Amino acid sequence: MASREVIEYETGVSKAFNVFAAVFIAFYVVWTVLPIFIMFMSSFKDLLEAFKLPEVGDWAGVKVFFEFTPTTKHYYELFANLGFSTYLFNSLVAAGGSAVVSVVLGSMCAYSLSRIDFRGKKDLFFWIISTRMAPVVAVMVPLYWIFRELELVGTLPGLILAYTTFNLPFAIWILKGFFDNVPYAIEEAQMVDGATRLQAFRAILPLVAPGIGAFVVLCILFAWNDYLFAAIIGSGGAKTLPAATRELVQPQNIQWGQIMAAGVVTTLPMMFLGLVIRKYLVTGLTMGAVKE
Amino acid sequence: MTNASITLAVPSQKGRPALELFRVRHIPDSVESRPSSAVVAEPTSINPPGSKRYYFLLMAPAILVLAFISIYPFFWMIYMSLHDVDIGKVEWNNFANYLKLPSDTRFIMGWALLVQYSAMCLFLQIVIGVFLAVALNGSRFEKVLVTTLLMPMMMAPLVAGMVWYFLYNGTFGWYHWLLQSLGILGPKSILASANTAMIGIVLVDVWQWTPLITLITLAGLKRVPQDQLEANMVDGASPVRNFMSVTLPNLYPVLLIAIMLRFMDNFRFTDSILVLTGGGPGNATKILPVYLFEVSFKFFKLGRGAAIAFILLIVTIILGMLLVRVFERGQPKKG
Repeated sequence: MASREVIEYETGVSKAFNVFAAVFIAFYVVWTVLPIFIMFMSSFKDLLEAFKLPEVGDWAGVKVFFEFTPTTKHYYELFANLGFSTYLFNSLVAAGGSAVVSVVLGSMCAYSLSRIDFRGKKDLFFWIISTRMAPVVAVMVPLYWIFRELELVGTLPGLILAYTTFNLPFAIWILKGFFDNVPYAIEEAQMVDGATRLQAFRAILPLVAPGIGAFVVLCILFAWNDYLFAAIIGSGGAKTLPAATRELVQPQNIQWGQIMAAGVVTTLPMMFLGLVIRKYLVTGLTMGAVKE
Repeated sequence: MTNASITLAVPSQKGRPALELFRVRHIPDSVESRPSSAVVAEPTSINPPGSKRYYFLLMAPAILVLAFISIYPFFWMIYMSLHDVDIGKVEWNNFANYLKLPSDTRFIMGWALLVQYSAMCLFLQIVIGVFLAVALNGSRFEKVLVTTLLMPMMMAPLVAGMVWYFLYNGTFGWYHWLLQSLGILGPKSILASANTAMIGIVLVDVWQWTPLITLITLAGLKRVPQDQLEANMVDGASPVRNFMSVTLPNLYPVLLIAIMLRFMDNFRFTDSILVLTGGGPGNATKILPVYLFEVSFKFFKLGRGAAIAFILLIVTIILGMLLVRVFERGQPKKG
């Protein structure tokens, strides 16, 4: 933490505020963590134990939450009998594929947009970004029809293409900001030394590499967490983790233990990735409008 | 860089632009590539006239892919919205899809509920998020706490919806037990009654996305000029006064971005609502995107769905235009 002299007045009011703030933060952290904690614990509980609740108003009874014998049977069930290894693979391919396609094509496009000016550039840019802002359900209506004609529904390439509808504009928009920060003089110097344009482009890529890496991860995150496209475009042959998790809800019999386990399997990798790219997260989630 | 101008380093006064010495006009390429009588030749190896073609070539794949998955479907959507679309049947129907919409109460209610849902989410997220950011700012544990707050955002909205559905459950949900024990709720689950279901889905969105507002606000707080705050304090301003007259105006641009982003996302994502209530009970939480999903992919009335989608898209694009303008104002950097 950067040390910095700040004038601070200790008044009664500010002391009260500090206490209140501390209590508020504590409450908020509990409120944030609790659902995830309950999901995690419930995934290791037998169904009967997961359903145990104290009497209404019996605050001391909360301890029943911690009274259980841990079991990994839900995870075993998911992977051994319900084919979740296939869904995990589908998720990886669909999310990874669209992320790679989006960032490779996106960085080429973003680089060019950053380097030249032409009439209608602003309109082109707006079109690109509005593709990203479009409601997923609205986009899906015509896309579903087209994909069905092309027999892309229920296939991984179809799903990759569907995810590209929101990942590619995102990549272009964000990466353009990165290329804007690389001075043209670097390429110029390269080209004076006899490099071709393509070689010059390649020479500046290392400068933006950390950003590009982070946005590959963010694209994976967006695609991995999607449910609507997976449920409609991927239905049948290309079920991903969220879509498969949803299908564990049967009208007669909701497999809560397995659902919680599937939730953990879906969530943990993304939380880990989120930590890895922590530095770029706010920039990414605000589409580059806010930098930390 | 169309109109670069060189200005004197005279500090500009309010409202009056700084004194301009020169103005460099942009010369179009067509002029540059003409043989000039100047003695110094253009260094042709760096900017040959064909360079634009090279850049367009680099851009082409991305633009082509986008055109295929965005423009082509857009026209398809318009085409579909003007027809009765069923499997194996596409028939022109004289704008019936659109003409039916004004008398479709669920469509009108969908808009009202969407606005209500967004407003409730935004209000809670902004109030809690900003207060949390102010409380966290400069705290000893800021880094750890912020990392903790990130966790819900990394979760798939569908999984979040499932977990909350479990927590809200009327017979074994812990949150239901908590609400009952506090005397807030009767034996009926929050999602089961039309009066409270909206609050139920709003709370999930608040849980998942308030941290984003906090993060954005924290980034904004780091840019609030400390010297102004200190000067104000020396002059005897109370911390509250200081917050209202210095901090908040400085936060305004980032907050605007945060509001617009969350607003758009409420239009975009419906995953958690589909799981939690599916639009029910009755139609109490059937916000427009949920209704659209139902029309298109439950009843497979794709023509009607396309008409609703088209209207939703147009509204989103208008909102998007506003958003882009806000972004550009937030970033004075040219680009």
